[in-house]
Amino acid sequence: MDSEDDDFYSGEAMDDENDYYNTDDAAYADGYDDEDEDDDDDDYEFMEEVDEEYVSRQQQSYTVLKEEDIQQRQEDDITRVSTVLSISRVDASILLRQYNWSVSRVHDAWFADEDGVRKSVGLLDKPVFQFSNAKELTCGICFEPYTRDKVMSAACGHPFCCTCWKGYISATVNDGPGCLMLRCPDPSCRAAVGQDMINMLASDDDKEKYTRYLRRSYVEDNRKGCLRYHLKHEPYLPSDCCYIHFVYCQTKWCPAPGCDYAIDFAAGGGTFDVSCLCSHSFCWNCTEEAHRPVDCGTVSKWILKNCAESENMNWILANSKPCPKCKRPIEKNQGCMHMTCSPPCKFEFCWLCLGAWSDHGERTGGFYACNRYESAKQQGDYDETERRREMAKNSLEKYTHYYERWASNQSSRQKALADLHQMQTVHLEKLSDTQCTPESQLKFIIEAWLQIVECRRVLKWTYAYGYYLPEHEHAKRQFFEYLQGEAESGLERLHQCAEKELQQFLNDDSPSKEFNDFRTKLAGLTSVTKNYFENLVRALENGLADVDSHAACSKAGISKPPPASKGKSGRGKGSGRSSGSHDAGR
Amino acid sequence: MQASRARLFKEYKEVQREKSADPDIQLVCDDSNIFKWTALIKGPSETPFEGGVFQLAFAVPEQYPLQPPQVRFLTKIFHPNVHFKTGEICLDILKNAWSPAWTLQSVCRAIIALMAHPEPDSPLNCDSGNLLRSGDTRGYQSMARMYTRLAAMPKKG
Repeated sequence: MDSEDDDFYSGEAMDDENDYYNTDDAAYADGYDDEDEDDDDDDYEFMEEVDEEYVSRQQQSYTVLKEEDIQQRQEDDITRVSTVLSISRVDASILLRQYNWSVSRVHDAWFADEDGVRKSVGLLDKPVFQFSNAKELTCGICFEPYTRDKVMSAACGHPFCCTCWKGYISATVNDGPGCLMLRCPDPSCRAAVGQDMINMLASDDDKEKYTRYLRRSYVEDNRKGCLRYHLKHEPYLPSDCCYIHFVYCQTKWCPAPGCDYAIDFAAGGGTFDVSCLCSHSFCWNCTEEAHRPVDCGTVSKWILKNCAESENMNWILANSKPCPKCKRPIEKNQGCMHMTCSPPCKFEFCWLCLGAWSDHGERTGGFYACNRYESAKQQGDYDETERRREMAKNSLEKYTHYYERWASNQSSRQKALADLHQMQTVHLEKLSDTQCTPESQLKFIIEAWLQIVECRRVLKWTYAYGYYLPEHEHAKRQFFEYLQGEAESGLERLHQCAEKELQQFLNDDSPSKEFNDFRTKLAGLTSVTKNYFENLVRALENGLADVDSHAACSKAGISKPPPASKGKSGRGKGSGRSSGSHDAGR
Repeated sequence: MQASRARLFKEYKEVQREKSADPDIQLVCDDSNIFKWTALIKGPSETPFEGGVFQLAFAVPEQYPLQPPQVRFLTKIFHPNVHFKTGEICLDILKNAWSPAWTLQSVCRAIIALMAHPEPDSPLNCDSGNLLRSGDTRGYQSMARMYTRLAAMPKKG
């Protein structure tokens, strides 16, 4: 998070809650006293309700807005401005658009200088163009004379015929969201053309486009964020004690392709991860996919690096070998196997076995073949990839290491998402039939898959985290890799169980006795894995601070797991090792 | 198509009727194509273009007047907002600030105004723009006057 954002989110007015001042809240506040006197029992229940709501408010600092919610809010804002300023809804909408949909800014500007605002926005008090008494008026676009009833004008009074208006509006609407700032066609006139004219004159298609632009503008132009008034009623305060507080709210579209929902986010909620109703979860701050526990800065660095390097990396891996001495990647484009690295290294080596060329010659089969390579390959102890792993010292290799794991968890997560979908839509019903179990009792399978999807996501980002974890912080690295290894091996077992072991029940024709055992096992693995990952997330989010307090322990011997991992639920024998270099598999 | 033709015809009749109304502008419609026009405009007085007559070519799109006409100088001119080679003009009303209430006549008037008040900050002709931006008004004027003499005035003798 950069400093600008810091400022933005650290204001005093911030609070976890994002409940808007709506009629419900007002009812709580107003109606409370009466109920108090009426009936004690009722009152007690009422308190509980408030309490529950309070708790849920604490947890969620965002709201998913469907299209109708966005529309509702937009309408509400328009109503508010139109009521307070005593202007038409159309004019209120034009004003709000001009002031990026901030009700408070509209109010401030209007009450400071109404004439100035009217002038700059193009809301005219009275027509500037006076109709002469002539029966016919000339359209300012096609220059044809028309009777008065065939002519229309905006608030300014400049007359244009309906056909030309239609053409003008349709041309502007099809030109993009600029149509929201439509002005009278007369070049000297700044009068705004509002939605009422659009609705009268535009085709259905164009009306829809206009409405869509209007909706989009409400979400997108609101980006700067606005202070909203919230009426806050604390359950622990005396009942008549309510106070208004301010919360910075911002709305952003869900970035998932094809998703029309928006997320309204109240500042100060701690985490930025939000989940849209379309099931896409993303970081509200940077709109990249959700990346908890890694921070936005690391993520953007990582993504930038991937963009810049992944293509190069793939090519380098496919087409080059590192020089055995200086490790620089070398491309062999033609010629014999006798390689000479470029200065200053100038190491001479054999392309096939990567051994020094001085060992070669007639003895090893001449200059065009390498016996050592051939024989080693035949014996099977020459594993080129293994050899390359040994050379994973330079930064290129280090990056590849993390990138490969990051990417494979990514694809693994995609696959898991597809499997989850398949499970929900096809398998669950079938399984319910064959095992004679109601679908509601098969929820544990869905939960397992949801856990897998979430864990793959976390695990993926821990590799970006690992890449940026400084080499010299040995204790932290060790601790991190331990936690990551634990979490990863737990996840592998869970994934394996959900995928492979479930398969046999899918193939069954009749209820299987083992199904109950399977249920216990899968549910157990789900909760154990969940625990591992919670530990991992918590540890990374506090910057592996536990290591510092147990530095002595780490120095003494690191083969033992650091104490911070104690709180976990029991785990079976044969835990995966804490190398962190486990291939994520699949 | 029909609307643009009708509108252009109106403009044509207007031009015929008021031929002498604006002595600085002479708009001529192509003999065979109402969507092609040329105009002769006089360089505004007290500018380096004074005394020159500049020819403009109009290509009117079918969506006219909802879309602006394309205009370019046929006569070579040294001006920050006119491309030295192609004669293309950088003028907001010919791009995003177009309004269907403009006419070919008013476009000519706008171009004359542009000749008198160049916008060196968005130059199509960088040399010309740089002269003005660096404050070398004399250099700009003498260059512009030279090209006016060379290209926009009848050859003497």
